[in-house]
Amino acid sequence: MVDVENSSRMTVSTASGEDTNVSSFVNQGMPLSVTVPPPKKRRNLPGMPDPDAEVVALSPNFLLATNRFVCEICNKGFQRDQNLQLHRRGHNLPWKLKQRTDKEPRKRVYVCPEPSCVHHNPVRALGDLTGIKKHFSRKHGEKKWKCERCSKKYAVQSDCKAHMKTCGTREYKCDCGTLFSRRDSFMTHRAFCDALTGKEGDGYSIKCVVTSPPPPPLTPSTSVVSPGLSVQSSELAENPIGLSPPTPVATCLDASATSTSSTSSTSNVFASIFASSTAPPAAIPRRASPPSALPMFCGLARSDCPPTMPARRATEPPSLSLSTSVYLSNTLSSPFPAGQDHRHYTPSPQPAMSATALLQKAAQMGATTSNPSFLRGLGLPPSTNQDGNGNQWGDRMPDNKTTFAAGLGLVLPSCDVMMNSFSLLGNKPTTLDLLGLGMDAASSALLNSYGSTGGFNVGEAAAAAAYGGGGRGNSDESWDGVPERKPNASAASSHKSSI
Amino acid sequence: MKLSLEKVVQPLESKGGSPITHGYNSLQSPMKTTLFSSKGTPTHFFPSHQRSHDRVAAIDMQSNSSSGNNQPQTSHTSTSRSSDSGEACGAGKKWASKLLSECARAISEKDSSKIQNLLWMLNELASPYGDCDQKLASYFLQALFCKATESGQRCFKTLTTVAEKSHSFDSARKLILKFQEVSPWTTFGHVASNGAILEALDGESKLHIIDISHTLCTQWPTLLEALATRNDETPHLKLTVVVTASIVRSVMKEIGQRMEKFARLMGVPFEFHVISGLNHLGELTKEGLGVQEDEAIAINCNGALKRVEVEERNSVIQLFRSLNPRVLTIVEEEADFTSSRYDFVRCFEECLRYYTLYFEMLEESFAPTSNERLMLERECSRNIVRVLACDEENDGGAGECCERRERGSQWFERLREAFSPAGFSDDVVDDVKALLKRYRAGWGLVLAQGDHHESGIYLTWKEDPVVWASAWKP
Repeated sequence: MVDVENSSRMTVSTASGEDTNVSSFVNQGMPLSVTVPPPKKRRNLPGMPDPDAEVVALSPNFLLATNRFVCEICNKGFQRDQNLQLHRRGHNLPWKLKQRTDKEPRKRVYVCPEPSCVHHNPVRALGDLTGIKKHFSRKHGEKKWKCERCSKKYAVQSDCKAHMKTCGTREYKCDCGTLFSRRDSFMTHRAFCDALTGKEGDGYSIKCVVTSPPPPPLTPSTSVVSPGLSVQSSELAENPIGLSPPTPVATCLDASATSTSSTSSTSNVFASIFASSTAPPAAIPRRASPPSALPMFCGLARSDCPPTMPARRATEPPSLSLSTSVYLSNTLSSPFPAGQDHRHYTPSPQPAMSATALLQKAAQMGATTSNPSFLRGLGLPPSTNQDGNGNQWGDRMPDNKTTFAAGLGLVLPSCDVMMNSFSLLGNKPTTLDLLGLGMDAASSALLNSYGSTGGFNVGEAAAAAAYGGGGRGNSDESWDGVPERKPNASAASSHKSSI
Repeated sequence: MKLSLEKVVQPLESKGGSPITHGYNSLQSPMKTTLFSSKGTPTHFFPSHQRSHDRVAAIDMQSNSSSGNNQPQTSHTSTSRSSDSGEACGAGKKWASKLLSECARAISEKDSSKIQNLLWMLNELASPYGDCDQKLASYFLQALFCKATESGQRCFKTLTTVAEKSHSFDSARKLILKFQEVSPWTTFGHVASNGAILEALDGESKLHIIDISHTLCTQWPTLLEALATRNDETPHLKLTVVVTASIVRSVMKEIGQRMEKFARLMGVPFEFHVISGLNHLGELTKEGLGVQEDEAIAINCNGALKRVEVEERNSVIQLFRSLNPRVLTIVEEEADFTSSRYDFVRCFEECLRYYTLYFEMLEESFAPTSNERLMLERECSRNIVRVLACDEENDGGAGECCERRERGSQWFERLREAFSPAGFSDDVVDDVKALLKRYRAGWGLVLAQGDHHESGIYLTWKEDPVVWASAWKP
């Protein structure tokens, strides 16, 4: 009973942090002297070494050496002498474990032996032997450890191990919403992404300050965390233990904060800049559902971004890893003043629709001249709102209705439809081919090449017709011209289907 | 060589009564005798050939009537066609290469009846929307036809004009980024070159990279990022891009703006220049490049050397040497269209081999309905026409000369005249290996061995080397 009371009081007194005996706390008149375990060592605050401590500068060899203690029998190395001694017991060798010195161990701090290093100065000494060893390895040592996945190199094995835990799991998100699992593809995408906003009128250095004044509501919220306008800041937002070194991040933060604010005020200007620099863009409907995973500040930025988006005929960013792209609006709007409403249709909402199935549907459709209904029959509602399903078919088809048709080998029973699309060609090319041909051009080019002779030309004339291009002779004129062989073309088109 | 197409086909058109049978008969026998005797699998060909002839007959009948009111009910798609051809090649999958090689031989022998027959057959079986065989058949058929009719230059011009008209920054960007996403064909060279450049220019504060390529600067964002994060002091980078293709020229302005923005984002002091006024790389000069004394220069040649006229290649390499770069990085596709340029059949076989690899790679890398793959295939079709059907005697004023590829070992011989091989460090090789891991299986890395130990590294697709990358120093 008494002991219990005393022990509880002892606990109380110990907790107060004093290492005095508790004899003074007895209330029953019996002096108790109990030795309290020494208090835990106080740690110095980082960056402020104990002024009484002994400054030790160890040699590089010592700092880099591992397993300095070697067993003479089997050459096994150990980091500490104690471990070696214990090992020697196994060989029936004489061993001796050193005792801990009784006197209070002198506090030691360690400086880096490298003269050019910041930690060479005793003021910046490190308090831990392991710490100084790791520092020396990291900063001045050779990087012997390499991550297998990304081949990033480390000098300290534990750093490498820690990295490998997270390597490849990190995701990078672009402003446009696309997620990337690979940093390099993220970088490349970012450089060309339409969501990349910049500052106008300043120099090339990111340290320049933007001239336009930031609107008040945005500044406070974006000063700390940028809305992902810069790569480093977005990383910072996602994970404070970023991989990128602090310097560019710091500069980017400042710039991005201001740039965010400038975005809102200059977004309209920016939109017009984009508008002028590209083909005449149609009004692209804002993407239906923004990615839900965007953090708050991105939402903030996005609310300012809409003017930029519609103006820009945004191309679909490559859809990777987790998110499917919703940027199918680009393929819908007609950038060309062709005035053909049949170009405005969404990609098929049924990704599984095969070419054969569509064809059969078309065959059932019969001849129509009204393009929208024709397309509806094929399961392609010609609305301008995209539903975005990341479908590859969707990418292809909207380029050109005739392309789509041709792509399926589809026979358009109505010549009117074909001629409509052909006259479209006269205005402007409809397929966004970089390096290849538009359907129409392909056919005409082939026709040019293959000549207009009947038997030989059958396949190609048919192809041409299906593409909506008329037949042409061997002449050299360019591919957009009046078709000379309409009847043949239409005849040939039906022939194509019989093949 | 004048191909008498008119002669063959006229009978079909002029006959009123039963053109089909006549035409059919006239064609049938040659098919049986000259063609199939050499095939070795006649039995397999016959049944399907009959079928294809039936179809041909039906088509003839209808094409000759001016009223086009016969609407057949069966719909034809490329899929059904492929099933036909599938039966046709029951003996072997590579019917296209067989027919195409046969046709190339016939052209070089100037055997006009055989040429016509083969072209017709290929025409029947080919489709740019079918499987690999059908696609190859289609595009090579186009080139063979141009070769036979000597219309290659014109055809190529038309194809190029068309491509240019429908080309935009957005389409170009989408295409190249998608390709890089699904295949390391281009990124292999990027990673290797960037690694070599970064190592060679390490510690310099004023960098000047001369980029002679049509990669639309997709190589540089990762380099910019590395420059920004590598060291404490970020060097100043001047990037001069040299382009010759008109298709690329039109988008360089937009690309330059993007790169400038991106460099600002990265915090890298950046300057961007484009040299686009050249007709071909032989016109490049030191002054034109704007090289300054205090700059550390790196020259990055990605798919550029093959566009230089064969006779000018050595002098262009000498020009590079005169710029005294710290490093010269070369990336070229592994094919030889140069040493065989006077031997049509040999050149054709090599062309077929290379593009078969490429098309198969595309088919396995992209989704089946990919528009990007289609565009890449069409680009190939132009190149195939250019290599096979555009002779050098024709006016080279078209702008770009033939894309005469050479193998790595051949480039090596040229380059070692002016430079010494630098090889890639282990770090860079590891980086490339890590890159390949991120793509589908089938890709590999091979270090050049043997005599040319340091002559570079090869990207392999199913054990076949396809792209060669190397680094050189003065």
